[in-house]
Formats: sequence, C-alpha cells, structure tokens
Amino acid sequence: MHIQKKPLADSHQRLSDPNLLLGILDNLPTSIVIKNSDLEFVYSNQAHCEIIGKSEAELLGASDKDFWEPEQARKFLENDNQVLQQGIGFETEEMATNDAGLSRLLLTKKTRLTNADGQIYLLVTNTDISALRKREDQYRALTETIPVAVVQLEEDGTIAFSNHLFNAYCSGDVSNEGRASIVRLLAQAHDGFPGIACKFETDIVVAGLGRRSVFAISSGWLNMGSSGRSAIISIIDISEMMELRRINEEVSRLNSELAENIAKLATAQDELLKKGRMEQLGQLTATVAHELRNPLGSVRTSAFLIERKLKDKGLGVESQLERINKGVTRCDNIITQLLDFSRTKQLYCQPADLDAWLTEVVEEEAKRLPENLVLDLRLGLSGTFAPFDPSRLQRAVINMISNAAEAMSDPKAPANAEPRITISTYLKDEHVSLRVADNGPGIPADVLDKVREPLFTTKSFGTGLGIPAIEQIAMQHGGRLDIASEPGKGTVFTMWFPLKSPQAEKVA
Amino acid sequence: MSRQLNILVVDDDAANAESLAELFQMDDHKVIVAYDGVQAIEAFSLNKVDIGFFDVMMPNKNGVDSFMEIKALNPDARVYFMTGYSADDLLEKAVAGGALGVFSKPVDLSKLLQAVESEAA
Repeated sequence: MHIQKKPLADSHQRLSDPNLLLGILDNLPTSIVIKNSDLEFVYSNQAHCEIIGKSEAELLGASDKDFWEPEQARKFLENDNQVLQQGIGFETEEMATNDAGLSRLLLTKKTRLTNADGQIYLLVTNTDISALRKREDQYRALTETIPVAVVQLEEDGTIAFSNHLFNAYCSGDVSNEGRASIVRLLAQAHDGFPGIACKFETDIVVAGLGRRSVFAISSGWLNMGSSGRSAIISIIDISEMMELRRINEEVSRLNSELAENIAKLATAQDELLKKGRMEQLGQLTATVAHELRNPLGSVRTSAFLIERKLKDKGLGVESQLERINKGVTRCDNIITQLLDFSRTKQLYCQPADLDAWLTEVVEEEAKRLPENLVLDLRLGLSGTFAPFDPSRLQRAVINMISNAAEAMSDPKAPANAEPRITISTYLKDEHVSLRVADNGPGIPADVLDKVREPLFTTKSFGTGLGIPAIEQIAMQHGGRLDIASEPGKGTVFTMWFPLKSPQAEKVA
Repeated sequence: MSRQLNILVVDDDAANAESLAELFQMDDHKVIVAYDGVQAIEAFSLNKVDIGFFDVMMPNKNGVDSFMEIKALNPDARVYFMTGYSADDLLEKAVAGGALGVFSKPVDLSKLLQAVESEAA
C-alpha cells in the first residue's frame, strides 16, 4: 500500500495562530485564569468567565476579591500567595459560591509560571466536579438501599468504601482491619478471591450474627481512576434462602415419602383383600379336601378289596383296577396342590440345617423320578441354619423338582438324551437361595409371563397351582421366587428367603 | 405267623370305616367300628383294643380329644390317626400325647397294612 503524505506546514502555521489557541482554551470545560504577581487577572478563558459570571473584559485587571465573598476571596488569595512565593503546586477541592449565589464544587490547581523575562504569573485551573461528585454520591446512596453488602478494596489492602450492610458484618469494628478481616474470611473459601472475578457460596461465622450462608461476588482487580486497582465485592446473605431451600427439600422429601406410603397402603390393601379371598379359598378348599378324601379313601380301599378277592381268578380286571387306583392318586394330588396354594396358615419355622434337610427330601423324591434322570445336588450352605417350615418348603421343593422332571419328559418336546436336574443352595446377602435348574426344553417368553398366575397350565392334567404354590411358600417365608428360562436350554427356579425371619427370631 | 388283633376303626364316614374293617377282617383280625369320638371311648372301655385307627374330624367328639381321654384311662393305648387334611394343631397335640403316627387320606394301604403287621408280629 502506498500512503500519500500531506505536507504539515500549513497546519503548523494555523496552530501557531494565537487566536486559534485562545479559541481552544475558550472551549475547554476547565476554567483557566492567569494572574500577575499582584494577583490581578491577566487572562480568563470562557469557562472561568462563566464561573464568575462576568465577561473577560470585565475581569481583566480585577482580582478575586472583586467577585467572591470576602472570606472566600481571602482564602483564595492566601493560597495564591503561597504558591507564588514557594513555587509549589497546590491542589484542592472546595465549594465555591460566586456573588450570584451559585455554589459549585471545584477541583482547583494552582501553578507558578515564569516567562522568558523572569516575570512571575499564577496559573489557576478550576474543574467543576459537582456533577462527578453528585454521581458518586448517588452511587453510594444506591449501595445503601440494596440488600447487598458492598465493599471496595484497594489492591494495597485498604478499604476505599463499604456500605452499612457490609459494616454490619464487622460487629462494630469498622476500622480498615476490621473490614478487611471479613474479606480474608471469604478468601479462605475461594482460591483467587478477591483478585479474580468470581462468585461462590460459603458459610462465614460473624461475631454477633453467628453462622451465615452468603453468596459472595468479586469484580476482580479493576483499574479505577489513576491510583492503582481495586475490587468491588458484594455479599448477599442467603441464610434465609438456604433455610427455605432446606425446608423445600424437606417438604418434597416428605411428599415423596407420602406418595410412597400411599402406594404401600394401596398394596397393603390389595394384599389384605387378596388375603381375605385366600382365607375364604383356604377354608373352602379344606372342607372340600376333607369331603373328597373320605370317598377317595373308600374307593381306594374298595378297589384294594376287589383286587384281593379276584386275585388268581383270571378275570382280567387288573388294568381296570389300576386305572381306579391311578385316578384316586391323581385326585389326591390335585387336592394336595389346592391345599398347598390356598394354605394361609402361619408357618411353623424352626432354624435347621437346610442342606441336611434338603438332602433327605431330594433323596426321597429321587425314588419317584425316571431312572435316566440325573439329580445333581450342590450344597453351599456348609451347615448354616436357616429358619423354614419343613412341611411347606418340602411342598415347594417337590413341586420344583416334579415340574422340572415333567418338563424334561414332555412328549411334545425333543427327547433329551441326558436329562439333568441341578439342585443347589448358597448364601448371598443374608439370604438363602434354593435353586432348581433343569436342562429341559425351557419355557417360551409368552408362557413365562403367565406361569405365576393361578390356574394357568400348559399340561393336560395340571391344576395350574404348582408354581403359584411355590411362590406363595417363598413369600410366606419372607422371600420371593425368581424364574428364568431359555427355550432350548432349560429353566431355573430360584427361591430366596431371609436367613433371619421375624418369626424365626421369635422362635429362637 | 402273626397274631390276631382287636382293631378299632373310628370314622364318621361309614364307607371308609366299613371298607377298612373288611380289609382287616380279610387278614383275620377282629374289627370294631365306631362312628364318632364318643363311640370310640365306649369301644375302648368295653373291649381290649390292640390298635386303633382314628379319623380326626368327627361329630360329637373329634378323634384327638377322644384319644386323649382314652389315653388318660389307658396309657398303653396304641392309636394311629387318619386325616383328610392337616389339622396341624390337633395332630401336634395327638403326636405329643402319644399317637403312633398319622396317615393322610386317601390312606396308602400298603403302609397301613405294614403298621398292622408290625403290631401283630
């Protein structure tokens, strides 16, 4: 790029024009006046004329005492003489009232000038800082009306300003040190405070106020005016807010607790209803069981008598008698399942060696199972005593084993070359797990969803009460039943019940 | 050879009581049949009973209560119970009071006959 330079000669010439310089001085907002050694005005710019309220022509040759109140004029002249004699610059802020009664806050600077001839003059400049001061006063007044403690801290540690709310934190000690100590308290809670711009929450303990939760904000070091850097720090007391927040949290906690309790109540009500129905069913089943088992007994005995009487007579009724016997046994099994499911009576729990007991039950049950079926017993409780009702748990174990055995001999399923039932126990989290796993055809997902429902069955001769009874027994022991199945791989029934049931403690 | 026994069968279900009676008679035992608890006590007091088979739930007096009365007069009384469903409290009382055992109905006859046989041996 090519920059074309304009010759400056022309503008130099114009700037050296005295009229132009005077014009500039007249347009400054600062009043400039030059006095001779007799302190008579020899020059006054426009701003100075306005302060006095006279034209320059009226001012020249006159002095301060012609325009200011005598006391004011005397002070001015005294300062003027001091500067003229000593040659040391003078600077002050003062309120000046002219003879028209107009007061202004003036920042006054006085300097001694000496010209080439050795003539002495006094240069006086006055800047009207009334507007500036007014604004500053407004800001300070503002800080007194907000619910925020405000402090201005200089980088050298001095406090330039603090409002009343901030001073309240100092418990009466509003010395620089007293106020700075609050800033140091806050600095402990946040790295870099107050030098960097930041905001944070903390607790401070203040004499007279106790522990307060506060939200502190710092502007960080800022250049303010010409004299070094300062930080504006605000402190908002959020103790009440925190208390409200705590109360709010407590209320929502109680609310969710309430909702939880309502849900529990609804569940309890459901259970109560169900229990009521189960009790009715239990009574009905007990009566029906009694009423049916008596005739079943006489049918069985009569069949037995017929068998004996016709023995060796070659009448060929053996298969018919066999059918009668099987029918009786099946009816009896159905009644047993109904009783198992509907039984609501309290358990008779006694702590006992579950593994030892289970071994006996499984050995007894094994006699009823097909010969090719492998029963694998893996005991993991190492003699741990667990509270359980032997007759009830036996029903559950037998149900689980016979379910597994039936699943594996299901003629609809592909034949299983190595049918195996694995029965295992182990301890986990103060709970006993009793697990019966088979390698049968498994249960399809849609069926698995329903197997816990009473009266649901896929068997042509089932009651649909076997699995509900297992679950019922697990729940009566304070536990639960898990059923997992993978079609083609097998099914796992897991009963969980606590090592310590409330009932067991009572018994112990 | 086993000896002949005096067997008391107590059951309010007549078909049950009588078919069992016939079964025992077939093995040449003497059988007395009672149809409630009161009759059972009477039968025990009037006869020398070697072994009894008692139903539990019966009119007039249940099997367990009548057994307890019999036991009080005749501490050596030997009685089995037969029940259609587990009346736990009553059966516990019976077993604690010296009953020999409990058969659940419909009774497994081979086990029942085993019990009689061992009594007769």
